[in-house]
This record gives sequence, structure tokens and C-alpha cells, in this order.
Amino acid sequence: MDKFRVIEIKESVFADNNAEAAELRLSLKKKGTLLINLMSSPGSGKTTLLKRTIADLKDELSIAVLEADIDSDVDARAVAEAGAKAIQLHTGGMCHLTAGMTRQGIEEVGLDGIDLAVLENVGNLVCPAEFDTGAAKNVMILSVPEGDDKPLKYPLMFSVCDVLLINKTDVLPYFDFDVDACVERAKKLNPSIEIFTLSGRTGEGFSAWTNWLKESVKEWKTAERVGDNAFVRYGRK
Amino acid sequence: MHELGLLAEIVDKIEEVAKENKVTEIETLVLDVGEYSGVVPVYLEECFPAVIEGTLLEKTKLQLNIIKGKAFCHDCKKTFMIAGNEQNCPYCNSQNCEVIEGGEFVIKEIVAR
Ligand SMILES: Nc1nc2c(ncn2[C@@H]2O[C@H](COP(=O)(O)OP(=O)(O)OP(=O)(O)O)[C@@H](O)[C@H]2O)c(=O)[nH]1
Ligand SMILES: [Mg+2]
Ligand SMILES: [Zn+2]
Repeated sequence: MDKFRVIEIKESVFADNNAEAAELRLSLKKKGTLLINLMSSPGSGKTTLLKRTIADLKDELSIAVLEADIDSDVDARAVAEAGAKAIQLHTGGMCHLTAGMTRQGIEEVGLDGIDLAVLENVGNLVCPAEFDTGAAKNVMILSVPEGDDKPLKYPLMFSVCDVLLINKTDVLPYFDFDVDACVERAKKLNPSIEIFTLSGRTGEGFSAWTNWLKESVKEWKTAERVGDNAFVRYGRK
Repeated sequence: MHELGLLAEIVDKIEEVAKENKVTEIETLVLDVGEYSGVVPVYLEECFPAVIEGTLLEKTKLQLNIIKGKAFCHDCKKTFMIAGNEQNCPYCNSQNCEVIEGGEFVIKEIVAR
């Protein structure tokens, strides 16, 4: 019988996913669809925020929402009622979405004619920060009740996001959440992060966020190249 | 937290490599795990038996090489070992430092025939 030998592999576990993400990004660029990877803890107000975002933008953009299957289909229905195409992704119970799962979900339904697609990632601040989904931009929601110390506890998540949404600002009077301190902590981890403070419930601060989305869609459609994002810059290699 | 999913991907990858190299028996799988990779070695060990069941790696041993954190200071150009969560430069206290080792999670090699 043959002797045992060493077969060198020396490949990052993240390499395959990164390559697949880059490929998906390129194909979505060709389609003119801006994919946003939305990450947060459970209950941060994603569905409420998405519903309002869709209502504000649906006359100008055609929108789709891709949901990770851990959420109930109550969310998918709410999103559809607000006027967006809702798509269910299959994570098989995983704690994060990979580029492969994202591509599979997109292939099933197609995104033809969609300007803006929002990927509702699995609800936690750890695992999704490790896997590039192929989104053009990465956005996280931090809601006021969660506390302003989250950048210290989940540094990778704050590093890989292009945008931080500080949500539920309507309850700021009832919590000791220090917005300035939170902004400073996030900027220290990721100097180029853009931060919007808003409330999905009252709509306060929403126009800055929806304007950013509109601008980003325009930029994505007209840019010559895919360009990079915070995930590509600071994510796992 | 996602060690299970990562291992499943690794097993797929190894089965591919095994096919390419016409390997039928894998004695050891060696992974390099950086201290700052976000991957928890104990979880890898705990998940491993479940993931390899019914695969070519069913009898394979898992070997983990833990890689210590090392950083480079862009201000004073020195390299230093990272201690705990302290990532400031120990020489000049700069925060302008970059992790150069210890962030990796790499399939190093397999011992097979
Ligand atoms: N005060 C306040 N409450 C909010 C706001 N947005 C959402 N909520 C409340 O927070 C709770 C969770 O909101 P959802 O929009 O369902 O949050 P989610 O992130 O989609 O939750 P999961 O899908 O279960 O993870 C609900 O009780 C909402 O009414 C907000 O801006 N202000
Ligand atoms: Mg929801
Ligand atoms: Zn220094």
C-alpha cells in the first residue's frame, strides 16, 4: 500500500466565498441591480425600517427583498404588502448567508428590472460579518435599546459596513445611549463608514437614508467598474 | 458560532482535493487558526465528528495550529505580538497598526494516501 504523504493546500477557508462574491457582484453590476446586505441583531427594527424605506422609494425604484429563512414568512408578507418583491433564501439553518446561497436565491427568481435589492441577513452581529455575500454595499442597523457599546463588542461587523443606521431614535429619551460616543467608536474602527440616525417608527431622519440609497443606485448603474466596499477592504481574506 | 458551516465547506473542499490527487485515505487534516480569526478552536473540535460522518474524512484526525497575533505599526515601523485586546503599539502607543498574522483561517495540508 502507498505511504502517507503530505498534500499542501494552503488555502484560506474564506477564499472560495470571496471569489464567488466577487463574481456575483460583477453579474449584478451588469444587470444594474444594487444589492445591499443588511445586517443586525434580531428585533433591531429591520422589517419596520424596510417597510418604510420601500413605501418612500417604490415610485422611483423597483425593489426586491431577499430574506434569510430563519425569519418567519410574516416578514416576507409585510414587505410584499409594502410594495416590494419578496424572495425567500434558504440558509439551511446556518448562522450567516454565503455568496453561494445568495446567488442561488437570486437565480431562482431572477432580479430582472430590479434597481434595488435588499438582502436581510441572518440576525446576529458575529457570523454575517465573516462572509461577503456579493452585495455592492453593506449596511448594519444598531437600535438604541441595544446600547452604544456595540462597536467595542462586535468590531468586525462595524469594520465591514459602508453604512451604520442608528435606529429607533424616537426612544433616545428613555435610554442612556450616547450617539456621539457610538459614532466615535464606529469611526475609529472604520473611518469611512457613513452614519445615519433615524426612526423606522416615526420616519425621523429617513430622507438622508433614502437619498443615500437613490444616489448609490444611480452610482452603481453609471460607474464603469464594480469598485470595492468596506467588506472587500476589511473583511476576512 | 459558525464553525459547523465552515467545517462543512472545508470537508467539501478536501473531498475535491482528494479526488484530484487520487487519494483514498486521509489520516490528518491540518488547519491554521489565527487567534484573531474569530474562529474558536474548541468549537471546531466539537463540531468535527458530526461534520465528517459519512464522508471521506470519517477516520481523519483534526490538527489545529494556533497562530499568535502579530501586528505592524505604521508609525514607528516596528512589529509586535498582540497581547489580549490591546492593539496599540507597545513602542510608540500609536493606534495606526495593522494585524499581519493571527487573522487567518487556512487549510494548511492533509496527510493522505
Ligand atoms: N420605538 C421604536 N420601536 C420600533 C422601531 N422600529 C421597530 N420597532 C419595534 O421593535 C420591534 C421589532 O421590530 P421589527 O421591525 O419586527 O424588527 P426586526 O429586526 O425585523 O425583527 P426580527 O425580524 O424579529 O429580527 C417591534 O415591536 C417594532 O414595533 C422604531 O423606530 N422605534
Ligand atoms: Mg423582521
Ligand atoms: Zn509604533
